[in-house]
Amino acid sequence: MLKIIIPTIMLLPTALLSPKNLIWTNTTTHSLLIAAISLQWLHPTYFPHKNLSQWAGVDQISAPLLVLSCWLLPLMLMASQNHLQQEPMVRKRIFITTLITIQPFIILAFSATEVILFYISFEATLIPTLILITRWGNQPERLSAGIYLLFYTLISSLPLLVTLLHLHTQTGTLHLPTLELMHPSLTLSWTGTLSGLALLMTFMVKAPLYGLHLWLPKAHVEAPIAGSMLLAALLLKLGGYGIMRVTMLMGPLTSYLCFPFMTLALWGALMTSSICLRQTDLKSLIAYSSVSHMGLVIAASMIQTDWSFSGAMILMISHGLTSSMLFCLANTNYERTHSRILLLTRGLQPLLPLMSTWWLLANLTNMALPPTTNLMAELTIMTALFNWSMPTIILTGLATLLTASYTLFMLLMTQRGTSPSYITSIPNSNTREHLLMTLHILPMLLLMLKPELISGTI
Amino acid sequence: MLRWGRWGRALRPRGGAGAARRGGPSPRCASDLFGEVGRALQRGLPGGHWGGPGRPPPEQADVVVVGGGVLGWAVAYWLKALEGPRRGGMRVLVVERDPTYSRASSVLSIGGIRQQFSLPENIRMSRFSASFLRSINEHLGVPDEPPIDLQFNPSGYLFLASERGAATLEHNVRVQREEGVQVALLSPAQLQEKFPWVNVDGVALASYGLEGEGWFDPWALLGAFRRKATSLGVYSCVGEVKSFVMSSENEVTAQGQSEPVSRIKYVNVHAPDSREYQPVACAIVVNAAGAWAGQLARLAGAELPVEPRKRFVFVWHCPEGPGLECPLLVDTSGAYFRRDGIAGNYLGSISPAEEDEPDTGDLEVDHSFFEEQVWPKLAHRVPAFASLKVRSAWAGYYDYNTFDRNGLLGQQPGVGNLLVAAGFSGHGLQQAPAAGRALAELLLAGRFRSLDLRRLACARLPARQPAPESSIV
Repeated sequence: MLKIIIPTIMLLPTALLSPKNLIWTNTTTHSLLIAAISLQWLHPTYFPHKNLSQWAGVDQISAPLLVLSCWLLPLMLMASQNHLQQEPMVRKRIFITTLITIQPFIILAFSATEVILFYISFEATLIPTLILITRWGNQPERLSAGIYLLFYTLISSLPLLVTLLHLHTQTGTLHLPTLELMHPSLTLSWTGTLSGLALLMTFMVKAPLYGLHLWLPKAHVEAPIAGSMLLAALLLKLGGYGIMRVTMLMGPLTSYLCFPFMTLALWGALMTSSICLRQTDLKSLIAYSSVSHMGLVIAASMIQTDWSFSGAMILMISHGLTSSMLFCLANTNYERTHSRILLLTRGLQPLLPLMSTWWLLANLTNMALPPTTNLMAELTIMTALFNWSMPTIILTGLATLLTASYTLFMLLMTQRGTSPSYITSIPNSNTREHLLMTLHILPMLLLMLKPELISGTI
Repeated sequence: MLRWGRWGRALRPRGGAGAARRGGPSPRCASDLFGEVGRALQRGLPGGHWGGPGRPPPEQADVVVVGGGVLGWAVAYWLKALEGPRRGGMRVLVVERDPTYSRASSVLSIGGIRQQFSLPENIRMSRFSASFLRSINEHLGVPDEPPIDLQFNPSGYLFLASERGAATLEHNVRVQREEGVQVALLSPAQLQEKFPWVNVDGVALASYGLEGEGWFDPWALLGAFRRKATSLGVYSCVGEVKSFVMSSENEVTAQGQSEPVSRIKYVNVHAPDSREYQPVACAIVVNAAGAWAGQLARLAGAELPVEPRKRFVFVWHCPEGPGLECPLLVDTSGAYFRRDGIAGNYLGSISPAEEDEPDTGDLEVDHSFFEEQVWPKLAHRVPAFASLKVRSAWAGYYDYNTFDRNGLLGQQPGVGNLLVAAGFSGHGLQQAPAAGRALAELLLAGRFRSLDLRRLACARLPARQPAPESSIV
């Protein structure tokens, strides 16, 4: 544990003290090294937790997400190089520092065994994200986006704090391994129901659930590329992960409380997929597709079976990589044409053929093409939901259909069709962008061969 | 980030249509009071909606239209109209430096529309515009607003040709008829019978437009485009574009030569009467700056052969004049006049010869021009004009395309994302709806869809292929 956390924290002086010409090289290489070391967490173990200490432990649900978060930092740094080129050195350092600051908190959040520590690191990730969106976003709407993000998360997480403290007073501990061995303390009374809702609400907002998702399109669209990657790949998964952990504390309540969330999640998957078909803004389209996928994750996490947890885990990892890759691709478009509108950045295949290969791969994984892990996840979740209740197959089936249709729409709009006549010269795709896409797609391709690494139950 | 206190104090509408929308009556009851307070808060707090002049420009826009004349607003309107009904969508910003339009060609125009051109593309554009103006309330009608009244006088254009110009006139009429224009050819006898007040001495042939020709109120059209575009979500701001931030790189052409191609990254919009400016990040810039389009292109490091040319218009009163049955008559000498209202006022002028172009520094009227150039020719053609009293006069600019006196539509050669809609040399107002639509289609669909205007593309400039127009008024 420490062999990851200490180097991550030491990345801060690396960013602040590196000489001017080496800052990107240093930070990217060292974060890649940390990512390589973090792969050891994926090694399966017979014990419930690896590297267990009083505060942190890695188990089968946390390990893939931890590896993803360590993997994503070098990718975020690589993606941000271009748009920070014009900024003075100090601002570049502050940007990289902000990105690096989030890392230890996310690692702590995913590996915390004490629920209050999880809560603290969960909230702590919010501030650097807010700084990223409101300071380095491109449009004036980023202020509104930051406020939405901040207040949606804070308002829903205050009841969580109260409930956690109450639970702590009741049970005397919030240490997860201990709690797994105890009887759940929440009953079917009003107190119990409201405590259960309070426990869940934060993560529903974070995941996001369909009715509470309004912050997500704004935040994703207005954030700079590193912010979008971070939000899509990691912070949303905090919500899914939190639901998985917290439903363990809730005991008999979930069999009654799950219905509104299931309904909203599955209906939301349908609705947001339909909204995607009507989007004019490319980043907004990808943001709504995130809501759609995470709706499936929430539905799976609520029914709490082995298969559904496994499916949710695989979907979280695959969606993290796919969505992050789509945002990177949208960013390469934006850097060239300075517009996110689909009508103005279309028909780019004849102009940037190599990048269209990455577009194709990303869209294929997004629409859950076999044999990608996205498909494994969706099938697992659909099966688990079907087992839980037969009519859900209609909703999940329609959601899959609509996902395929809007993904195809996105691919055909951006790559095929008439190229804009006024784009006469466009900077070619450079190695950095190709490397970025490779590093996104490579884990997905490798995981196809050994999905047990991320499937969460061994 | 620069603050723009100056922008807030620029040109607030005092009275007139603007205040009626913004201010409202004084509060009479409690709910009115809350409304007033709310509106005052909304005006005072930063952010919120960007509406009308007086707000600083946004930091980012997808399309920046430089020039708030009829062509600029037409492009903005068609961009939003063709994009389809969506919430959000692309952000179009129209930048206008003079919200009073004191020197803009659009509103100083006499507002004529004709289909009697020699270039088929011009004819098609004017026909499209005529049908657009006929159904203007379907296109530009805003719910809950009074219907648009263009005050269109369908009195037609009457072109007179001498012996020398008769063949050209007949050829032009044939081209026009092929395009479907209703135009009548009149012999001198027929002309005398139809318009008894004309002196047919020296006239060999006349062509009279029977449908879709006349004159209208340019202010009404500009205001209609502006209101509808704003209701569709187009942003507008007051400011002057004084510079661009561009990036440039060399590309190898098909002939193997290395040519620099540049891209506009930011448009620096300067606040009026101030040193503040806002760099607006943009994807596309549309040059609709009218007479100053050439100047704007030079700011972007490109050449556009559009320059301002001053033209006068004189208004006189002649009680024995032609009366109500009076088209816009274009004489063999080039002088023209039309009826203005129903009280016996007429307006007219002549385009000066190339050597005698007046100085374009200001819009001062040279009254001797009327007495020396206009009056003799008009008095010869219409004997009743021998005695008249000049009421007033004004001057305006033609956005004169020195290459071939026709509009330029399309991508500026040399700058990747600068699109041009300028250089219409006196027939810009009448072709604005068509030109706006053509440019919007070029942007959204990649090619001209409804009207094939490839001959008017800017690519004809480096290729040295003029699209000539013989009937320029």
